[in-house]
Order: sequence, then structure tokens, then C-alpha cells
Amino acid sequence: MPGKEMRVSRRDFLKTGLTLGAAGAGGLLGGGLLSGCGTGNTVKAFTASTAGKPRMGGTLRAGLTGGSSADTLDPLNAITNVDFSRIDNLYEPLIGLNPDAQPIFVLATELTPNAKATEWTLRIARGITFHNGKDLTADDVIYTFRQILNPKAPAAAAAGLASIDAKNMTKLDQYTVKIPCSTPFATLHQALAIPGYSDIIPVGFNPAAPVGTGPFRLKSFSPGTQSVFVRYANYWQPGRPYLDEIVITDYSDQTSQVNALLAGQVDVVNLLSEDVISEVQGEGKNVLVSAGGGWNPFTMRVDTGTFSDVRIRQAMRLVVDRQQMLDLVFGGYGTLGNDLFGIWAPEYDHSLPQREQDIDQAKSLLKAAGAEGLHVQLVTSDIAQGTVLAAQVLAQQASAAGISVSVNDVTVNDFYGTNYLKWQFAQDYWFYNFYLPQVSLATLPTASFNETHWDNSRYNSLYHQAIATVDDSLRTELAHEMQQIEYDEGGYIIPFFPPVIDGYATNVGGLVPSKIGLSLNAYDFKNVWLS
Amino acid sequence: MLIYRSLIGLLTLLLVSILVFAATQTLPGNAASAVLLNTATPQRLHALEVQLGLNKPAVEQYWTWLTGILHGNFGKSLANGTSVGTLVGGRILNSLVLVVLAGAIGTLIGVGLGVLAAARRDSVFDHVLSVTALAVTALPEFVVAVVLIIFFAAVVWHLFPAVSVFVPGTAPWSNPKELVLPVATLVIVVVPYVFRMMRASMIDALESDYVQMARLKGMPKWRVLLVHALPNAIAPTIQVIGLSFLYLAGGVVVVEYMFNYPGLGQALVSAVSDRDIPVIQFIVLVLAAFYIVVNILTDVISLAASPRRRLPRS
Repeated sequence: MPGKEMRVSRRDFLKTGLTLGAAGAGGLLGGGLLSGCGTGNTVKAFTASTAGKPRMGGTLRAGLTGGSSADTLDPLNAITNVDFSRIDNLYEPLIGLNPDAQPIFVLATELTPNAKATEWTLRIARGITFHNGKDLTADDVIYTFRQILNPKAPAAAAAGLASIDAKNMTKLDQYTVKIPCSTPFATLHQALAIPGYSDIIPVGFNPAAPVGTGPFRLKSFSPGTQSVFVRYANYWQPGRPYLDEIVITDYSDQTSQVNALLAGQVDVVNLLSEDVISEVQGEGKNVLVSAGGGWNPFTMRVDTGTFSDVRIRQAMRLVVDRQQMLDLVFGGYGTLGNDLFGIWAPEYDHSLPQREQDIDQAKSLLKAAGAEGLHVQLVTSDIAQGTVLAAQVLAQQASAAGISVSVNDVTVNDFYGTNYLKWQFAQDYWFYNFYLPQVSLATLPTASFNETHWDNSRYNSLYHQAIATVDDSLRTELAHEMQQIEYDEGGYIIPFFPPVIDGYATNVGGLVPSKIGLSLNAYDFKNVWLS
Repeated sequence: MLIYRSLIGLLTLLLVSILVFAATQTLPGNAASAVLLNTATPQRLHALEVQLGLNKPAVEQYWTWLTGILHGNFGKSLANGTSVGTLVGGRILNSLVLVVLAGAIGTLIGVGLGVLAAARRDSVFDHVLSVTALAVTALPEFVVAVVLIIFFAAVVWHLFPAVSVFVPGTAPWSNPKELVLPVATLVIVVVPYVFRMMRASMIDALESDYVQMARLKGMPKWRVLLVHALPNAIAPTIQVIGLSFLYLAGGVVVVEYMFNYPGLGQALVSAVSDRDIPVIQFIVLVLAAFYIVVNILTDVISLAASPRRRLPRS
């Protein structure tokens, strides 16, 4: 059986969610996962909720940045950050994440692999309906997977779910599906839990009149401008949602967004930078700081050029003063990184020592590599909060070891243009993912986004063992060995996991800090109320 | 003359569309890569490019677009598949209301203050106005906008909304409160130019012989000012007013951004970053057409305002 968290029932989860809301950030961060972690968590506690007891009714006005006229309601092809706010409320996945970023059942009630992880049996809940009144059945699940894995137009989740043999999925009864895998896939339950990529749509889904099983149904949508959702009266979770209506408005930048919050024109805002925290709090509004699991790495190509010498990669990792970088870029909010991804995954190795800045060691590594006075170009772009600033800080820190880093700031379209995945030394951003699913996307020779061109035969074979291992603790051991290799030789510099900072008015209740890395606990508006 | 100017205008539009299309081709990436960003696997990129017709040669893409325009079909947005007309139509109205309101109010205030300042030349009133106007011309729109927001929306008083959010599909005049600060910002930016031009040409007119004559005849002061001096001073000011409108069509971009006002400027910025060529083309054409129309109108009106120039030169 997969992870323990899976056995938490929905009702338990809801209870937990509420307790967490009442206990505030301190309660959440005191949780088991973090207490054993040596990364020196620096997130400061904020009161999570001041809005009293849950109350039914009202319209929540959200002012969100990160959208554009490319905004979409297509749950299989979410593009912009604001898309997640709509998709996470309109549709639902089989498996979701709780605020601790662990998998929980949503539409699924059981998901069991066979001994070799080559076939999973999925059971879905009964009595759930789509917004058009149609019952959720096994057919819809099979339809969704075939859409995601459609070879002619693969969806965003296709790369991570490539092992699923969608063509041979079979319906065992109205509510049970057999999911065969072309290669072993012991982490299906984790891969499915990443929010906003594999939500279930009904057979014959029409993107022009989108229906899902989510707590809110669509009223109106104009891309890049505004969308309105109303409560779905037949929603299956008892007592949810609290709100009657959500109005989501796209904002072009933080200034107008914060102005709107301060002027009382919106109730919640997302993706703030740390420098407005005091302004927002000074004007009597609340701030929600979450220790997200997303990560913004520096990527060094290990196959050609300067960084093909492992000693130079190690030197680069040693010049980074991670705490200083986090202080400068995110005001000290967020979590220190150790050049490894998947921080909230059960497979993450918290026992590896925190890497610290060591200029002498870096210098001697460079000397051994014959690369004293190294000059490299770092390609950066405003792709995510703080990326350009982090690049400048890195250049500054590297100069202490005699490395000259010239920062080349290009436009986002240049960055993701023809040279994307080919840059020698660049950055990227990733949403939170579990460890092994992330490996399948980023650090295997077959991965779609292997930006460091990492191809280590020992590592690859460990992965193939791990992905075929159903037993959690055995799989974790294998994953730890993989992380040791990455920790010693990898092409990523992962200095920190950025915080997610949101703002909200004092009458908004039910918001909890979350490790998922998407704003407002992955835009979980069904648990939000207005007092 | 009007017909000739209009034909030249149409030719200009055609050239603009070719130029803009060529410029979009030199931008890195295309709509497919701009939409997919870091989720772009080669398979997804290819599928989307085929779907959007981006794999066809550039000349063919331009030709398809141009023939579409001639049939009244402005194409579909590459970013979200809705037709350009629906996407941009409401925004044209929103921006137009902003520009026309700001232009009209700015012109009235500018002309009014200019006349008063010229009539009381070298008084304290005149000096204060002139210095203030000089100071305000040095302020960029975003500074004016920020100051207005701090005072009237977000921090000191909460009188007006800090951002202009319309329910999509509603007309801008049904949201009058939302219009106040963006219009005020543009008015503050435009007034000094109109004021200074009006004041200068009014002073010129007041020093002329016919005004002296009118005064010596004992006409009331207001009549000298409004009936004799103003009509002669207005012609050069009309050019400045025309320029102000043209400036507003561009300045509106910054103001729309500051107030999150759903207008053309905001749509254009977003279309450029999405590489959404049909939307870029359409908005640029609308702006170019606005320039052409305002230029023609300015010339016609200043001709009408200066009788001497209406007659053919002999």
C-alpha cells in the first residue's frame, strides 16, 4: 500500500484542516515532517485566521496576478497561475494534497498497485455528480486519462504520467477502473496528486461549457480579465462550500493588486513579494506566509562545457550563502535548500548535512580543476518571483571565490524560446512535486525537461528499481541513495524553496498556510468563509 | 483634399500592418511557446503550432490575415481562441471613453486657465499657474497616478477605487467612480501643455493691433477677450490639443496598467508577451487609425478656425 497519509478519510482531513486553521501557522509548522529536518526553517508565524466561526454565504473577491489573455479553463492544460485558481475550484482530481503536501483521496476511495507496480486498481466514490447533473463514473476517468495521454495533443500532465497505458485501461464496474502501466509506476498516487493537472472531466467534455465536480460552477469567464463562479448546490462534501460566489479578477501587477486590497476592493490577493508585507499589515490587512515546496533552481549543464567537470559544479554549490540569498531575495521567509528537490516528499532525505558556503573549499576545487579565475555567463529572466535578484546575488557571492559570473537578463519569451533546455547555466522554476515523479520529469535521460542533461547510470538504475518498488520504506532507501548522488555530483543548485506570500482582509476565514506552493492553499476556496 | 488624405491614410494602415507583422516575426518564440512556456515538450509544441497554423510560412500567414480583414474577419486570438472582435471590442470603447473624457476635460480646463492667465498676465495668479504647470509637466504619468492613489484611494482617504475593475461587458460610464482617478491622472498630465500654449497665443493676440483697437473703442473686457482675442488665439492651440489626444492614445497604456483599467493598452501589452499576432495587429491598426483620424480632424478644425488659410494662395 502507498503512503500512510492515503488512509486519512475525507472527514478526518476536513477536521484536520479546520484545526490547523484555528491553531495558525505555528501549529502547522510544528508538524512531524519539519521537526526532523535540518534545513533551518525560517518561516515566521502569522495568525492564520481571525474571522471567527465559519459562516455560509457571501461573495469572495480575489485579485490575482500571474494571469494573461492566455488564461484558460481547460483543466488539462493549465497555463497561468490564475488558471489554477479557477481549475482547482471548478474540477477535482482523484487524489489531492492536504496542506502538508501529502496525498489524500478526493474523488478516489481506493488506489492499489499490484506487487510489481505494473497495474493499479482505482475505485471512485459513488453519488458524485458533475455540474450538468451527470453521475461521475469509471467512463469519465478513462476518458480523462485518454485525453491527457492523447498522442496527437498530449496534455501538460502527459510527461509525468507517460507510464500509464491509457489505451488498455478497463472498466471493471461503474466505479472501478484497472490502470495498466507500460513500465512499473509505484508512484502513481503521488503523480496524480499534483494540483491542477489531472482533474477529472466528463466524457465528451466541452471546453466552451466546462463542467466538473468541484465546489463551484462557472458563471462567466473572460480571459485575462475576470471570471465568476457560483456555489454548486449538489456538491458532495457536506457543508461545503461556504461561499455563494467567487469573483476572480486578473491584475497586471502587484501595485494595483495591493492597492485594491488596501482600498477594500478585493478580499484576497496572491503572490506578494516580501517587501509589501509591512505595508499590508500596517494598513490592517492579514498576510499568509506558506513554506511552499516549489523550487527555483540554478541549472548547470553537466554534459558539455565548463560544468561537465564535477569539481566546478561542486565549487559553484559551495560559493552560495543560502541564508543570505534567502534574506536578500525573500526577506528570510522560505526554506533553505540543499541542492535536492521534493522537500515535502516522504522520500526526501533530511539526513544529508545542510550545505554551507565554503569559499576556501570552492577555491581549492577550482584550482584542482585548473579553473581559477573562472568566467561564466548565467542566463536569467523574470520567470518567477525573485529569479533575477537571486541571479545577481549568486554573481556577487561567487566573486568571493574569484569566479566572475556575468548575468544575462533575457525576456521570458527568449528564455523559453529555442534555447530553453539548452542553456549552459540558467535558472528555472518548478511547482512542488514528489521526489520520484520529479526525477521522471527532470533528471532522467528520458525526462522531458532534463535541463541539466543529467545522465548517471547508477542513478538511472536506482530510479528504475525505486519506481518498481511498492514498499514505501524500501523505495525511500533507494531514493535516498539517488539523492546522495545528486547531492555529490548533480547539476542543480537549489539554494532555497521560496515562500508563498498572500494577503487577505480580516473578515476572510478558513485560509491555512500550505506546503503545496500554490497560493492560498492551492486556491482552496471551498473551505473559505466571510464573516 | 479630405478624400486624398483618407486614401493616404488607408495606405499608411496597410504599411503599418506589414511593418508590425514583420516585427512580430523577429520576436523570439511564437504564440505556442509563449503559451506553453516551461511545459513545452516538443510534442506539445508541435501539436499547438499545427493547431494555430504557425507552421505555415510567414507570408502565407500574413496573406490569410489580410484577406480575412478585407472580409471583415479580424481573426482569432492565438492565446485563447476567442475572436479578436469580441476580445478587443469592449476594450476599444473603454479606452476611447478614457481618452475622450480626459481630452475634453483637459482641453476645457487648459483653455480656460490659459485665457485667465493671459488676461491677468504677470499677476500672482498667472505666476502660480505657470510655475505649477511647469512642475507638473516634469511629472511622469505613473508618479501622478501613484500620488492620486495614495491620497484618494488607498492610504489617506478612501474616496475612489484604487483600481478600475469593470464587470466584463458593462459600459465604462456605468462605472463612473472607477473612471475618476484614471481620467484625473490623464487630465493632470495634459492640462499644462494646453494651458501653456493657450496662454502664449492669447498673450500674442492681446498685444495685437485689433485688440488694442477694440479696447480703445471701449468694449467690455470679456467681449474683447472672448470674441476678439480667443478665436484668433485658438488655432495654434488646436494643434496642441490634437497632439494631446495623440499623446493620450499612447499615455493611456501606462495609466491603464497603473489602474488595471481594462483598455486597449493593457490588451496590447499582454498580446505582445503572448505573441498573439492577430490581436497585436488589430490593436495597432486601431491606434494607427486613431492617429490618422485625429490628424485629419486637427487640420480641418484649424483650417476652419483660421479664415485666412481657407483661401487658396494666389
